[in-house]
Amino acid sequence: MRFWKSWIVTAKDLSVFRNNKYILYSLIAMPLIMGLLIPVVLIYSLQAQVAVLTQAQLIEVATLFVNMFSSFFVITAVALPTVIASYSFIGEKLEKSLEPLLATPTTDSELLFGKSLGAFIPCIGATYIGELIFVIVIGGWSIINLGTLLLPTLHWALVTGIIIPLAGVLSVEANIIISSRVNDMRAAQQIGGIIILPLLLLTVLPSVIQIIPMVTLALILSGGLAVADVGLFYLSKAIFQREEILTKWK
Amino acid sequence: MSMIETENLTRTFGELTAVDNVTMKVNEGEVFGFLGPNGAGKITTVRMLCCLISKTSGKARIGDFEVDREEDRLKIRKMVGYLAGDVGLYENLSAYKNLDFFGKLYEVPSGKREENIKHLLELLGLWERKDDVVAGLSKGMKQKLAIARALIHEPQVLFLDEPTANLDPLAAKTVRDFVLELKKEKRTIFMNTHNLDEAERICDRIAVLKTRLIKVGSPEDLERSISSRKTVVHLESIVNSVLAAVKKLSTVKNVSTSENKLILDMDDPEKDNPQLVRAIVAAGGNIQYVTEERSTLEDVYLKLVRGT
Repeated sequence: MRFWKSWIVTAKDLSVFRNNKYILYSLIAMPLIMGLLIPVVLIYSLQAQVAVLTQAQLIEVATLFVNMFSSFFVITAVALPTVIASYSFIGEKLEKSLEPLLATPTTDSELLFGKSLGAFIPCIGATYIGELIFVIVIGGWSIINLGTLLLPTLHWALVTGIIIPLAGVLSVEANIIISSRVNDMRAAQQIGGIIILPLLLLTVLPSVIQIIPMVTLALILSGGLAVADVGLFYLSKAIFQREEILTKWK
Repeated sequence: MSMIETENLTRTFGELTAVDNVTMKVNEGEVFGFLGPNGAGKITTVRMLCCLISKTSGKARIGDFEVDREEDRLKIRKMVGYLAGDVGLYENLSAYKNLDFFGKLYEVPSGKREENIKHLLELLGLWERKDDVVAGLSKGMKQKLAIARALIHEPQVLFLDEPTANLDPLAAKTVRDFVLELKKEKRTIFMNTHNLDEAERICDRIAVLKTRLIKVGSPEDLERSISSRKTVVHLESIVNSVLAAVKKLSTVKNVSTSENKLILDMDDPEKDNPQLVRAIVAAGGNIQYVTEERSTLEDVYLKLVRGT
């Protein structure tokens, strides 16, 4: 596989997204909302504890909350591909530009990888921007109010460094598969939303209800997501073939 | 030298046979028209030749490369240009960026790519609109841009699917003239079309397909093949002696009249017409002029397609 070929496809898709207001607004709005809303809710919850807890207890509770709330960024990483990836593939279908693209001297894998990367990069970028806002706001608040930095923690590092990208990849792959079967952008996004719901519940809910220690949970989730990513990659590769696209993609 | 060659090329989709044992050769530098009704298998044939879909059986070759050999497929895609039925452009990218993207995928070096884009856009009258997003271009401009895209890598073989469909007469003429320019450059052009007039005007040879290949030949050969060339003799008036004299001639297969015209089926008009004229004059007929009534490509096409 020639990665430079895939990158041509990726760069084109990124250019298409830049010129599409719907995509652009989704990419800006989601991290902004998550990056600001989560710290606001978190800080509000912690402020209520300031009067009743000692400094040490407050740091312990705050760390627990920060770990828990950082898991919510998985939502961004999983939800954005329902917009971006479905546009990436259904957009090509609607513009009927897949056939000329498939006629170029590019392999199926190069095209699939290029298009997947084109969907993944803006999603992960937007998620990390949201995370950055979260880290800055929480960092500022914790230094001012607790005299210490709550981040980084091992759980946060696992979620940010491993779970978020793996969940993003999984969502992109799931959306490629959905896109191959539907023609309507909204239908794809709705189906995508339904399909990612169990993934979100699996990722976010255990962090919130604290069944097992968070780090153990993050490691289990990382392993599960990695296995699912590989499985879905092969499935999407089987679907993304010239012949399939031209004769069966409806 | 043949640039495109198929031998018993067949493609089935489940129970349906879309292309059935098609054997043909298209020569280098030839404009080859591919006619057939909807669902005749024209697009399936082109897709097989462009290595977009696989064949079920038979052989197909582009240049020196076999379409079903994995290692040849990228080489074939690199040497062919393909204009699909739908223009399929990226609507919110500029005309220039559309061409640049495809130029990169076809591995055209940067300097050459810029040169080709400028050349093609100028030739097709789109250079002034190069920075406009495609969504703002007219249908004709989009079609021209799609043709430019198919040519960005200077392909040896060009597959055009309905290149002038839905274009106004002026835009269609520009495209036709452009195809003829490409022919001068010795490019091989394989053109799917429903436009019989266009096929007659620009194609060196025409194939009629209806799942199977029904007929291949030059437009003139096809028109002759239906054997409905008629000699029409315009007379001052038709008198019985003229009619009787004509009917006596063994070379005349059939005679009919319409107003002051004699319409005659002849085996070999070039050879037999002088004898016919002499016979009419000898019988007292006053000939105003002699013309030929040929079957058109449309007649041929309809007869071939309906007859199968």
